Amino acid sequence: MLEFLQICIGGLVVGSTYAVIALGFSLVYRVTGAINLSQGGFAIIAAMIGYTLGVAWGWPLWVAIPSAVAVTVGIGMALGAFTFVPALDRLSNANVLMLTAGILTMIEGFTLVVWGSQPYAMPPFSGEAPLVFGPLRVPTQAFWVIGATGVCIAALWLLIAKTKLGTGLRACAENPGAASLMGIDVPRMTLLSFGLATLIAAIAGVTVAPTTSLQFDTGRLFTISGFVAAAIGGIASFPGAVIGGLFLGLVTQLATAYISSLFSTAISLLILLAVLIWRPSGFVQARVGKRQDTRDEAKATGHVARLPSNLAWPAAALAVAAALLIPFVVTDNGILSGLVIAGILFMTLMGLDVLMGYAGQVSLGQAGFMAIGGYTSGYLSINTETAPWLAILAGIFVSLACGLVLSVVTLRLRGLYLALATLAFGLLVDSCAVGFLDITGGPSGLVGIPAFSVAGIEFATPRAMYYVVLALDLVIFIGLTGALRSSFGRALKAIRSDQMAAAALGINTVRYKLAAFMISVTLASLAGSMYAFFFNFLSPEMVGTGRSLELVAMLIIGGESTLLGGLFGASLLTLLPTMFQPLAIYKTFASGALLVASFLYLPQGLYGAVVQIAIRLSRPKTNTEAKTAAKTSARVL
Amino acid sequence: MSAQPEMSVAVNAVLSVNNLSKSFGGLRATNDVTFDVAPHQVTAMIGPNGAGKTTVFNLITNLLSKDRGQVLFLGRDLAGLSAVKIADMGLIRTFQSARVFPGMTAIENVMVGCHRLALHSGASQTLWLSSARSEERRMLRRAEEMLELVGLAPFKDTHATELPMGAQKLLEVVRALMAQPKLLCLDEPAAGLNDTETQELASLLRAIRTLGIPVLIVEHNMSLVMNVADQVVVIDSGAIIAKGTPAEIQGNKQVIEAYLGRENHAAS
Ligand SMILES: Nc1ncnc2c1ncn2[C@@H]1O[C@H](COP(=O)(O)OP(=O)(O)OP(=O)(O)O)[C@@H](O)[C@H]1O
Ligand SMILES: [Mg+2]
Repeated sequence: MLEFLQICIGGLVVGSTYAVIALGFSLVYRVTGAINLSQGGFAIIAAMIGYTLGVAWGWPLWVAIPSAVAVTVGIGMALGAFTFVPALDRLSNANVLMLTAGILTMIEGFTLVVWGSQPYAMPPFSGEAPLVFGPLRVPTQAFWVIGATGVCIAALWLLIAKTKLGTGLRACAENPGAASLMGIDVPRMTLLSFGLATLIAAIAGVTVAPTTSLQFDTGRLFTISGFVAAAIGGIASFPGAVIGGLFLGLVTQLATAYISSLFSTAISLLILLAVLIWRPSGFVQARVGKRQDTRDEAKATGHVARLPSNLAWPAAALAVAAALLIPFVVTDNGILSGLVIAGILFMTLMGLDVLMGYAGQVSLGQAGFMAIGGYTSGYLSINTETAPWLAILAGIFVSLACGLVLSVVTLRLRGLYLALATLAFGLLVDSCAVGFLDITGGPSGLVGIPAFSVAGIEFATPRAMYYVVLALDLVIFIGLTGALRSSFGRALKAIRSDQMAAAALGINTVRYKLAAFMISVTLASLAGSMYAFFFNFLSPEMVGTGRSLELVAMLIIGGESTLLGGLFGASLLTLLPTMFQPLAIYKTFASGALLVASFLYLPQGLYGAVVQIAIRLSRPKTNTEAKTAAKTSARVL
Repeated sequence: MSAQPEMSVAVNAVLSVNNLSKSFGGLRATNDVTFDVAPHQVTAMIGPNGAGKTTVFNLITNLLSKDRGQVLFLGRDLAGLSAVKIADMGLIRTFQSARVFPGMTAIENVMVGCHRLALHSGASQTLWLSSARSEERRMLRRAEEMLELVGLAPFKDTHATELPMGAQKLLEVVRALMAQPKLLCLDEPAAGLNDTETQELASLLRAIRTLGIPVLIVEHNMSLVMNVADQVVVIDSGAIIAKGTPAEIQGNKQVIEAYLGRENHAAS
C-alpha cells in the first residue's frame, strides 16, 4: 500500500508536467486549430538554460529559473512570429503540424550543438531532503511541480475567462473570420497563444528538471506525452488536458513499477490507440462546437512544377547514366555508403510520397515499418539462414499484416488524429524494438546480420550494394510513375483534395487510401530490410521516431508529390553530414531548419526549384515557339 | 411477380423519387417529394432559396439519410448504397459550389471523370502494360475533345483553381459528363456564370440531351430553365407545389406566388 501511494505521488508529478504541456496543446489548438509539437522542445531549452545559469554560472536559483523561463519565452515568441504565424496562413493544418515537428527538431538540434548529448541533472529547488509524512517520503520538488501546475492552470483559466485578452482568444477559437471582422488582431492572438504555450511549457520544464535527467532529445518525450495526454483527455478541452495528463502520468508510473519499464510507453500508446478508436475526440468533449477545419480543404494542395516531356526524357537518361558511373568516379567508401543510405531511404520516401504527397495522408510513423521489416528479415537471416530475398518478403508480409491492423484505426481518422495515430504506432514499434530483447537485441541492437546476397552472390561492399539499391530504386520509380500518371494517381490526388467530390465520381476512397498505405508499408519494409543488410546491424534508434520525422523532413525539403523529390531530400540530409564530418553535429538542427524553411519558402521543395530553373534555362529555345504560338492565337481570336 | 407493376413504372423513368422526406430538427427540409425523371429528357427543379433542392440531391445520392421514402434508379432501389456505388451505377452529380480538384490541371480534372470507366487496375498501370497505356491515351483524347467542346481547350494545362469561376463550373459539368452518366444531376451549374458562359452551358445542355443522357438540373436562372427543360418540378419549403412543362409552369399561379411572395417578404 505504501509503495502504491509512493508510486502514485510519482505519477502525479510526472502527470502534472504532462498536464501542463497538454494544456499548451489545447490552448494553441483552440485558438488556431493547429497542433504545436514544439512545446516539449521549449520545456527542455528552459531547463537547459536554467542549468547553465543556476549550476554552471552559479546564479542563485530564484534568479536563474525565472530568467531561463523569460529567455525561453523570448526565443519561443521569435520562432512563433517568424514560422508558426505565417505558416497558419499558408499551410493546411496537417502541414502546420509537421512544421512544428520541424521546429521541435530544430530545437533539439540547437540543444545538441550547445549542450552536447550528455545528460544533465538539475538540483532540486529546496534541497535534497524529502518531506516526511509518517511513513511517506515526498521529495520537495514534487510540491514545486504540482504547485506550478496548479498555478498555471488557475492563471490560464483566469486569463481566458476573466480578461479582455481572454475574450479575444476565445473569439479566435470559435470563429477566426468573425473575430477579425470584429477588430480582433487574429495573428497577434495566435502569437499570444503560442507564447503562452511556450511560457507554461518552460515553467513545466524547469520545475520538472530536478526530478529527471535531461538530454537534448528529452523534449521529444515531453511533446509526445503531452500530445498523447491531450488526445486522451480531449484536445479541445482544458479540463480534458489536465485529466489526460494526470491519468497518463499515473498509468505510466504504475505500469513501470508493476509490469516493466520497457513496456510502460507501449501501454500508454495502446490506451491512446484505444481512445482513438472508441472516442476520437477524447474523454472530455469540448463545449465549444467542433472546430471547422476549413483551411484543410482550401490549402491542401499546391501546384507542382513538372518538367515538360521534351526535357524530361533527356534529363532522365542523363541521370541514369550519371548514376551508373558514380561508383567509378567516387572512390571514397564513406560517400558511397552515404549514397547507398540515401538510395535506401529513397525507397521509403517514394512510398511516403504516394501516401502523403498524393493521397494526402499524414504519416509520422513510417520508420515503424522500416523497423518491422528490418528486424523480421534480420532475425530470420541470423537465426534460420533464410535467403535474404525470402527474409525481405517475410518482413513485408509481417509489415503488411501490422499495417492492416493499423489501418483499421487510421482509415477513419483525418488530419491531426491521423498524425497522432501514426506517431503512436511508430512509438509503439519503437518501444517493442527496445523491449523484445530476445528478438531485437534490445537497445544495443541486433548484430551479425549477414550481407545481402542473391543465389550465393554476396553484395558486401558499398559499391556492390550501390548497384543493388540503384536497380531497386529504378524499378520502383518506373513502376510508380506508371501508376501515378494514370487513373490511379489521379484518383489519389482527387481524394487528397476533396473526398466527397471524388466519391461522387465513383472513386472508392477507402480502397485507394488503403492501397496507398499498403504501397508505403511495402516500400518502408523493403527499405528497412536493405538497411539491416547493408549495416549488418539494426538498432532501435536507426529506425525510430527520430527517423520518421527525418523522413518527413526529407520529403518536404525534396518536394512533395513529385516522387523524385525524396531523392533530393535524402541525398542532401545524408551526404552533407558525410562530406563535412565536422558539421555532423549540426545535422539535426539543419534538418529541422530546412524543413521549416521549405514549408515556408520552398513549397515545391528542392525538386520544384530545380525544375523551375531547368525550365527557365531551356526557355531561349522555346521562346520563339511561344511567340509564334501567341501570334497564331491572337490571329485566331 | 407481385413487383411486376412497380417494375414497369420504374423502367419508364430513369429516376423515380417516391414520398421522400427529411427533417433537420424541427425543420422539414423535404416533405413528401415525389417525381420522375424520364429518359432522354431534361428535368429541372426550381424553387426559391432554401426550398430544399440541394437536400433532395443529397438524399438521392445518400449523402444524407432519408427519414422516409424511396429512390429508384434504373429500377433499382438506392437504399443503403454508398455514394461510390451510386456513382458506379451511372448516377453522377455535381455540387452547388464548384468543386474542381485543386492541385490538378484542367485536363487532369476532366480525366478524373472517367475513373469509373477505367478497366485497368493500378497494378497494370504500374507494369506499364500497353493495353493500360492505350486506354490512358484514349481517355486523354476524349478529355481533350470534351474541353474543345466547351471552349476550354486552350486552358487544358492550367491549374483548375486558377480558372475563372465560370470556367470551373463548366469544367465540373464536363468532368461529370466524362463519366458517361446514365443520369446527370447538376446543382446550379449556371450560378456564377456570366451571360456568354451561360449561353455556352445552354448549348452544352442541349448537346447532352441530343446524346440521350437524361438530366436533372437545379437552377435559378429561369431563362435557362425555360430554354432547355422538358419538365419542371417546383419546390417550395420542402414540398412540390407544381409539375409540368415550362409553358405550364410559367402560367402557374402558385409558382408565381411562391416567388413573388418571397420577394415581397424580402422587400418588407
Ligand atoms: N445538413 C443540414 N443541417 C441542417 N439544416 C440543413 C442542412 N442542409 C440544409 N439544411 C436546411 O434545409 C433547408 C433547405 O436547404 P437546401 O440547401 O436544400 O436549399 P436549396 O433549395 O438548395 O437552396 P439554395 O437555392 O440556396 O441552394 C434550408 O433551410 C437549410 O438551412
Ligand atoms: Mg442548393
